Amino acid sequence: MDKVMSNKKVIALYVLPALLLILAVVYIPIVLTGYYGLNEWNGIGAMTFIGLDNYQALIKDETFWGSAWHSLLLALFSGVSLILYLMVAMVLASRIKAANLFRKIYLIPMLLSSVAIAQLWLKIYHPTNGILNSLLESFGVANPPAWLAEPSLVLFALFIPILWQYAGFYILIYYAALKNIPASLEEAAKIDGANALQIAWKIKLPLAMEVIKVTVVLAVVGSLKYFDLIYVMTNGGPNGASEVMASYMYSEAFKSYDFGYGSAIGFFLLVICLIATWIIRKLTVTKDTIQYS
Amino acid sequence: MMSETAGQLQGGMKGSGGGMAGKLGYVLLYTVLIAVAVLQLFPLVWLLFFSLKNNQEVFNLPPLSLPMNPHWENYGKVWSAGNIDVYFINSVWITVAATALTVVLGSLVTFAVTRMKWKGSSIVLGLFMVAMMIPVHSTLIPLFSLFNNAGLIDHPLSLILTYVAFNMPITIMILLGFYYALPREVEEAAIIDGCSVNRMFFRIVFPMTSSVLATTAIINMIYNWNEFIFVNTFISSDAYKTLTVGVQNFIGQYTTDWGAIGATLMISILPILITFLFLSDRIVEGIAAGSVKG
Amino acid sequence: MFNKKWTMLLLTLCLTLIAAGCGQNGNNGETAANSGTNESGSSKVTINFMHLWPEGVSAGQNKIVNQIIKDFQTENPNISIKQEVLDNEQYKNKLKVLSASNQLPDVGVTWAAGFMQPYVEGKLFTPVDDVLSGELNGKFVSGTTEAYAIDGKTYALPLEFNIAPVYYNKALFEKNNLEVPQTYEQFKTVVKTLSENGIAPIALGNKDRWTGSLWYMYLADRLAGQETLASAISGSASFMDEGLMKAAAEVQTLVDGNAFVKGFNGLSNEEAKSEFLNGKAAMYMMGTWELPNFTTNEDIPQEFRDSVGFFKFPTVDGGKGDINSWVGGPGVGLFVSESSEVKEEAKAFVEYFIVKWGEQSVTGAGVIPATKVDTAALELPQLYIDLFNEMNQASSITLFADVQMQASAAETHLNQIQALFGKASTPEKFSQEHDAAISKGN
Repeated sequence: MDKVMSNKKVIALYVLPALLLILAVVYIPIVLTGYYGLNEWNGIGAMTFIGLDNYQALIKDETFWGSAWHSLLLALFSGVSLILYLMVAMVLASRIKAANLFRKIYLIPMLLSSVAIAQLWLKIYHPTNGILNSLLESFGVANPPAWLAEPSLVLFALFIPILWQYAGFYILIYYAALKNIPASLEEAAKIDGANALQIAWKIKLPLAMEVIKVTVVLAVVGSLKYFDLIYVMTNGGPNGASEVMASYMYSEAFKSYDFGYGSAIGFFLLVICLIATWIIRKLTVTKDTIQYS
Repeated sequence: MMSETAGQLQGGMKGSGGGMAGKLGYVLLYTVLIAVAVLQLFPLVWLLFFSLKNNQEVFNLPPLSLPMNPHWENYGKVWSAGNIDVYFINSVWITVAATALTVVLGSLVTFAVTRMKWKGSSIVLGLFMVAMMIPVHSTLIPLFSLFNNAGLIDHPLSLILTYVAFNMPITIMILLGFYYALPREVEEAAIIDGCSVNRMFFRIVFPMTSSVLATTAIINMIYNWNEFIFVNTFISSDAYKTLTVGVQNFIGQYTTDWGAIGATLMISILPILITFLFLSDRIVEGIAAGSVKG
Repeated sequence: MFNKKWTMLLLTLCLTLIAAGCGQNGNNGETAANSGTNESGSSKVTINFMHLWPEGVSAGQNKIVNQIIKDFQTENPNISIKQEVLDNEQYKNKLKVLSASNQLPDVGVTWAAGFMQPYVEGKLFTPVDDVLSGELNGKFVSGTTEAYAIDGKTYALPLEFNIAPVYYNKALFEKNNLEVPQTYEQFKTVVKTLSENGIAPIALGNKDRWTGSLWYMYLADRLAGQETLASAISGSASFMDEGLMKAAAEVQTLVDGNAFVKGFNGLSNEEAKSEFLNGKAAMYMMGTWELPNFTTNEDIPQEFRDSVGFFKFPTVDGGKGDINSWVGGPGVGLFVSESSEVKEEAKAFVEYFIVKWGEQSVTGAGVIPATKVDTAALELPQLYIDLFNEMNQASSITLFADVQMQASAAETHLNQIQALFGKASTPEKFSQEHDAAISKGN
């Protein structure tokens, strides 16, 4: 058994194609990003090596830390919302009629490109004739806020579409994980007199734990480098109130022609993601992995 | 909006025990499920209406109203614009090729990392995870110069390689959770029967993971289908561009034709919607059927 | 289904890619030279031309471009032009990525001054003074090519020329018994009356930031005078100037007086424009590129188009500005890449393009070209004629601030504009940040 399963040739054959590909296509850019970060470079002319100057400036850059805080908030909200998605998936994976159809419909927003999602939510949040404010006004709210123009509201107004956009993604994964649990386990527990809640808590949750851990990492890393809707809907504004790390990186590198500094932000973002992942893995470590039996 | 429904969902589950309360619970549960479904379908309906408006109507009419004279000509504009057929074919084959490659290569890696014994497996896994953490815009300039040196600029291979590489980490991560939970007995039995690793993987493990493979395939497809930053950066010939470029045809220097963009988005969502709604189950069955044969 | 051979094949593929990538990394120059010999080796020459007028939405421009290319190819059978069309934003991104690898197209579109400066300093654009002094000599409206000159050399030739008037809805003005304001005091009364009558006075989409910049620029010009503003932007004077500070303060007074549509800092220019187009807002300041929407665009009701007028930004009592001083300038221009293998042909194409564009752009696309137009020979809507006349009478034209400044200073300017309008910045801070950003760039 062990001999077969540690056959070096097979391992190399399985791992190397993908590994070499990401080394070339992802790691070369990562290393170069780190290197550009050590230079003063507008992306066009010659580079000047300036050592850690960009990183030193970054540490003192209030705008950057503001954007990092916004990204962390998004990561926190994304992480917490996973609980909700898990519950929805559990309901769908229990004996619900047409569960498959529901599951598919729930994923539809994710099929839409960010261009469409952004337009939809711009129409929802429009200060005068948007869906939300029209509703509020019809309920008698006088002068409802301009959601995307208020620095105190804009970030949370953006979180809702972002979380909503990805709901179907996580429900899909959880659903697959829960459906993978052999029905025999659930039957056995039922015979033992367990109710639905007990089955969910004692059997389904532990068996889906590995998948859940993975989704936490995905949600946190995905949020930390999130860019799309924020860029289209507010461009980080007003007054930087919705700036996140990736949008700040983009505006420094591509708008301000400071590719060196932008790269430093990009590299720093990677480091923050690494730290976050490390913390998550430390927090969620379990001694023995559970298998279906 | 969402948290409210969650509470009710829970209530529904508890009530599933029996009796009157149970029935009421079921009614409530389905009401909520259907309500959420309507909410999730709403963007599609909105997009359809959006695609039938002109700019004036896009901005002036309430979002969920149909204009007096639906502008079906928006679809005409999209179809008559040059190259849409070429873009469509490119989108399909590039998406399919990249998705298939990612899912297969990702499965191989996940299998080797989770089921086989070797030093460095956790380092390799770590390498894949770190690859997920770089912001896309940081990679454009280095990747362009890499592909430029390799002679792959304006070549579809640059897109496929990029899509495979960038979606590989997330694919492996999703597969990981499922592979960890696979029972070891299956492999043990296979090996005692004298099965080779290759045979075991392709005939037994791969089909066993069919449902998660379908999940990752769908996710990959969505990402690849909607991707436009890499297309715009690496590709300059119309012959290799994909459907997402169609949207750009309606974004001008000073004005944007939103209705036509809506129509483009509507047309481009259909293939993936159909694949997802009707073909995904077939794909799962297909892969799962492989295990019976083996 | 998926066997060993396949996997091996993939592996080889990846390895070759990496080998190719590493092997050629060292000799960049050689690859560039190689691609050149292919083209000059044969008698047929290809010019790569990247622009931002897609067929779908910029049908007018696109048609002209294609006509020009067709004619040029007929006249020069050995040259073929290969186009690549991107939208505004993707275009700018791609230009940047291409520049980093020195792979610019032979001919492309650029913006003036601050935008093109890094490309010029990086020696990516070639001077086109020879083209300018040739057939095109004297054809440009004075002051337009200067925006594309750096250190005495011109690096691109402009295609557009715009100024920014305040458009207003005559019907709404009439309904509220309002007259076109001649002085800033009158303007403030107009704003006040409209606001009290429940009409949004000014449509402004300040999510895009350069839109708010226009308002600040005019106030600065009228209060501090064109020269003060120009020297503050160039860094030779300070934004702490009394007049400039007053302009910034005046912006906030307008905001306090509800002069702008609700939620303007969260609205895009397009969303704001629609408020003007649907008659909910009475005024809208924008470049002359919007003229087709007020004259020829059939999608917009005739009734509305007929009721659009414009006025010059009024003068302020005690201010140093002149009513005939405008904010505006050339829009996009054409550059020729320094590393182009077909520079001479590319320059010939640019020259041909500018001339033909100038002849057709007003009538074909509603775009005012940077080359002189004989308005008498053309049949144009009155609004065009009036604005052409204003352009001829202009005492000075101040280039849009975000175009004028270098990229990073421009970003600071735009961010501060949004903050000023959002009352997150004060006139003092606004001026300080500007001075700091501009001196850092110089």
